[in-house]
Amino acid sequence: MTVDRAALIGRQLRAATYTVSQVDVDDFLGVVAEPDFAPLDDGEADSGRLAPPSFAPFVAVLGLLKTFDWQEDFLFDYRNGTAMFGEQAIEFHRPLVVGESVSIAAAISDVYEKQGKSRFDVIEVTFKIAGEHDEDLLMSGQQSYILFK
Amino acid sequence: MIESIDKPFFEDYAVDMLLPSIDFGPMDRFDYIPIALILRDTNPLHLDRVYAQERGLNDVVQQGPLNQAYLYRYFTSLLHNPWDLVGTKMRFAANVFPEDTLRCGGEVLALEPIEGSGGVIICAVWQRNQKGEVILKGEASARIPSRP
Repeated sequence: MTVDRAALIGRQLRAATYTVSQVDVDDFLGVVAEPDFAPLDDGEADSGRLAPPSFAPFVAVLGLLKTFDWQEDFLFDYRNGTAMFGEQAIEFHRPLVVGESVSIAAAISDVYEKQGKSRFDVIEVTFKIAGEHDEDLLMSGQQSYILFK
Repeated sequence: MIESIDKPFFEDYAVDMLLPSIDFGPMDRFDYIPIALILRDTNPLHLDRVYAQERGLNDVVQQGPLNQAYLYRYFTSLLHNPWDLVGTKMRFAANVFPEDTLRCGGEVLALEPIEGSGGVIICAVWQRNQKGEVILKGEASARIPSRP
């Protein structure tokens, strides 16, 4: 059955939060060594510690995945279908602080069909990620999802 | 890694200038376990070699955000402060597999001076594997200080 997703344009996705936890950042730094952002020893205070910019794609991906349901919002059967990340654009407004909770607001800004080796829909989601309490903007941008037909 | 004393100032950049390239790797399949935990994504395509082979792949596929992280790591290593990063735009072109080596590089596309405080560089950035296949490509921009 062909799914027409054009009507999804403009849909506001659900609000979500994500905490930039020390565990996640330290696990990440165990894989991608960042000399300026070394993991802390056990018990060491991390007040005001910054996460590296290389962790930002994880925050965007994790945060955005909380804002939608594949079936309900994208009309897509994630269990049986094939989906991929498309282009991601991020504008940075301030550093990410370890331990802070961030809020994610997102909306579907465009949907269009493309033809490669097979046909697929591209869903473009515009997002803003801000501090949960003071609502200062951290990141804004766009993430596209490729849904094969 | 480029030490801080070697990091270029705004005056050192010119349009069409190639950025130094840096290699990361070889990629390690055991790194995909903590990344799966961070991403809360236990898709067997990233963790189970047999599952991946049953779907026509030679091996498990490295998680996309990890590929991006290495390109961010590369570009921000050129900056005097990693959080001088202004923006990125990246597109996935191919998969990464265990034992791949990732070469990251770039080229200056434009320079936007800021009066009295250096400026912003806009660069094409890319990531290729050991076979020269493009993994990621896009743009990155950052604030760069003037030479003191």
